[in-house]
Amino acid sequence: MVRFKNRYFLCEIISDDSRFQQCLDERAVHNTVKNVIARMHGDFGLACCSIAFSVKYLNAYTGIVLLCCRKDFHRLLWSSLPFITYLESRNQRYPCSFNTLHVGATIRTCQKFLIHYNSNQLLALLRNCTSEADRQAIQESVQSCMFVEEEQFHSKDEESDDSMQMA
Amino acid sequence: MAGFVDLNIPHSLEKESLRKLVEAAAHLGYSTVAINYVIDYEEKKKEVVKPISSSELFTSLPMVQGKSKPIKILSRLTLVVSDPSHCNILRATSTNIKFYDIFAVFPKNGKLFHVACTTLDVDLVCINVTEKLPFYIKRPSVNVAIDRGIYFELVYVPAIKDSTMRRYTISNALSLMQICRGKNIVLSSAAEKPLQMRGPYDVANLGWLFGLSESNAKAAVSTNGRAVLLHGEARKTACGVVHTVKKPRTPDEDDSTPATKRPKWHCDE
Repeated sequence: MVRFKNRYFLCEIISDDSRFQQCLDERAVHNTVKNVIARMHGDFGLACCSIAFSVKYLNAYTGIVLLCCRKDFHRLLWSSLPFITYLESRNQRYPCSFNTLHVGATIRTCQKFLIHYNSNQLLALLRNCTSEADRQAIQESVQSCMFVEEEQFHSKDEESDDSMQMA
Repeated sequence: MAGFVDLNIPHSLEKESLRKLVEAAAHLGYSTVAINYVIDYEEKKKEVVKPISSSELFTSLPMVQGKSKPIKILSRLTLVVSDPSHCNILRATSTNIKFYDIFAVFPKNGKLFHVACTTLDVDLVCINVTEKLPFYIKRPSVNVAIDRGIYFELVYVPAIKDSTMRRYTISNALSLMQICRGKNIVLSSAAEKPLQMRGPYDVANLGWLFGLSESNAKAAVSTNGRAVLLHGEARKTACGVVHTVKKPRTPDEDDSTPATKRPKWHCDE
């Protein structure tokens, strides 16, 4: 018995709308991606991709989502992601675009990549920040960024999000 | 691994929107972008303007995502030609033309496509993606172009914007791929808004829809773009034999006033 192989897409949702953060939820992302697959690859493509398709993780503050699908059909999903131009939530359309950061075979590699990516983003913030309080907060959260056990990771991740908002 | 290249950022007169586009490109991970100036002869006789310099646009260049280098901004001139006489401008040593790094042509008919592939001194040949290809792409001209190191450009933003454009883009791309077998292709954006731009890995994967293999698609956003830049550079430097470097500014300014005095001091000593 062989396990089913999946592919995990770590994507960043880019938008310039300020209300976008509040309406970002798993359901909206799920529907948007399914719609765009149906538009690009028709019924056959949607049927292929919807095996084990799910939104595994979503961070509304940083706009990061983790999508999962079967390895055999991940090309179909990946080739339709660039064609997303808006996210529909509560009957409102918000213009946005998906940027794939990483495609991994396990959630663990995606998590590692995301920590690395977020700490890089924090360093970029540190370079541009102006006030001393911000600088302190960012420095602390950079130091707390590391790959640790699951439970601890979640709390620390939240912390870094807060500081990103502050800055 | 070479850095990612986007050779088509349309020039607009508002600096703010141009700045936003370049910042978006840096955020997505492109390490080189080229600002595109289009000259269309059918509209009216336009003057070749001097390209905007990167220092005019930014006080400090945005950092490339994932690297600690600032983004590199180049300039590119695209001629939309429907008559062979339009290409004379490339040979003319007019004042502003030498400031451009890359030259591209957008041939409107099959005859000009052949001319562009075989004789014109350009780096890029643009393929029309917004309507049905008005001519058949012939294998001999494409083969000559590949031998000369000329690349074909496909633009992907029309495909993102509209469904009918997407059909034309994919069918035109596939018909080109049948002839050139995935070689010498450059994928670029031509995005008017920052949200239309896509990350380099996504663009490479779009190549899969256009009939490119995985390695060719990745080359289309990275190494092929670099090859175009080098081809453009080779024209300036007479095939890489002569290389002229601008003198740094500070000694220049120092030299300008006491140029007459300095030799005297030497004499005194």
